[in-house]
Amino acid sequence: MNQVNQEDWLDRQLREAAPYIDDEGFTARVLQQLPPPRRSHDLLRAVILLGMTFLASVLAYVVSGGGRFVGITLERLAALPALWIFVIALASGLVIAAAGATAAISRDRGLQRSFLRT
Amino acid sequence: MELTDADLVARVLVDDDQHAFGELVRRHQSAVRGLLRQLTRTDVALADDLAQQAFLRAYKNIRSFRGEARFSTWLYRIAYNCFREDARRRKELVGIDEEQIQRQRDPQVADPGLRHDLMRALNLLPLNERSAVLLCCQNGLSHDEAARVLNIPLGTVKTNVLRGREKLKRMLADWGPN
Repeated sequence: MNQVNQEDWLDRQLREAAPYIDDEGFTARVLQQLPPPRRSHDLLRAVILLGMTFLASVLAYVVSGGGRFVGITLERLAALPALWIFVIALASGLVIAAAGATAAISRDRGLQRSFLRT
Repeated sequence: MELTDADLVARVLVDDDQHAFGELVRRHQSAVRGLLRQLTRTDVALADDLAQQAFLRAYKNIRSFRGEARFSTWLYRIAYNCFREDARRRKELVGIDEEQIQRQRDPQVADPGLRHDLMRALNLLPLNERSAVLLCCQNGLSHDEAARVLNIPLGTVKTNVLRGREKLKRMLADWGPN
């Protein structure tokens, strides 16, 4: 008896002995037991953060005497030379762009590590 | 175009998309439940409980899937760990007697004939050989993938497959090709 034929025969019998098992509600049962989607937590987190920010802003406005410091700062800014205002605006833009790019790259790296080798 | 497993995993990771996870369950439920049925010696109820447990664990730990192996291999490993933990709890890793096998047998495989004898022969193999044969010969995993699932060295997997095959061939000698 040929050894290779016999192994092929055995493997074939083993594969045929494992027929497709119909789902019959299995997937639904698994999905029912999953924890609630993360999105609801994200929404809650966003509401808390926005609420706290709003409260802190109101508090700062009241404590600072009706936001007088905003007007004073604007007056100082307006008194600055145009070149200085341009430099400040450019620096702010660069800082925000760098932060955004860093976040995007780190997220992309995480995803690549997880999926590209599948 | 049908989404790949990796696409679906990405959706679960990024958006916590439970529909995508449902699709993964639908795709792999048959293989995982089939493997567990064989490992539990065709105890269908126990196998399905373990499969459910395995999928829930997969969902909770999906961030630890690093894509080094196929998603199905990662899933098999979780399923196998669930089986091992349950077996340890039941202290049944080895030595279930033939009478018990008969009681637990799946009615689907109760037909007399080659399939019945094959299932019976498989159930008589020690767990390490049965697991290796099921993963490599029945589920088509490579020896390397099986070693990852079973968390044992590659050489041990090869030996277990070889020994398991030999025993099966001997037990099924009357049915083999001439």
